[in-house]
Amino acid sequence: MELKNNLKEFRNKKDYTQEDLGKSVGVSRQTIISIERYRYKPSLELAMKIAKELNVKIEKLFYFA
Amino acid sequence: MILSKKEISILIEIVFSILFTLIFLPYFYRNQETSFVFSELIGKVTEIIIFSIIYFSVAYSLLEFTYKSKITEDERCDMINSKSYKLGYLLYEFSLFIFIGTLVNSSIHQNGGIIFLILSLLLIVSVVKSIYQFYLHRTF
Repeated sequence: MELKNNLKEFRNKKDYTQEDLGKSVGVSRQTIISIERYRYKPSLELAMKIAKELNVKIEKLFYFA
Repeated sequence: MILSKKEISILIEIVFSILFTLIFLPYFYRNQETSFVFSELIGKVTEIIIFSIIYFSVAYSLLEFTYKSKITEDERCDMINSKSYKLGYLLYEFSLFIFIGTLVNSSIHQNGGIIFLILSLLLIVSVVKSIYQFYLHRTF
């Protein structure tokens, strides 16, 4: 079971660039890229910040597959 | 290959480390068989310490102003730093064993050779740590 996410999809819906989203949650663009590529698993705090910024429930954004 | 500011700053740090060691390594390489008298050795070590303080203050200030102030440090950076510094710490321990082993085997008799060995080990550990840090930034 691996932690996956729909970050790219929700980010595009909100018309955010990786840079914009990174700035608004206080991380670098590289971190957003790494999360989208499933390379880096964010902390609960960062995951919740991203979910809040994208106005989506955290369980919709991150899921096990 | 497009590099981020963080990756460029790590590469610059590697270059700084190599340049610094290249300034002093040749001197001790030439004098490996030399047994410095205490006052001469203290003079050379003091020279290295003073030079390193000035060198790294200037070098890292330049790096800070040009790159690091624009870099966002986040939890991913912390994780990468903790992994690379852990490797650096293990390598320092390992190099300590090499150093002690070399002294016990008495393959180095003169303090010129001992300082050359210390500087070489420090350079290797520092560069390997930074390369690993760079690798993690590229792959994580």
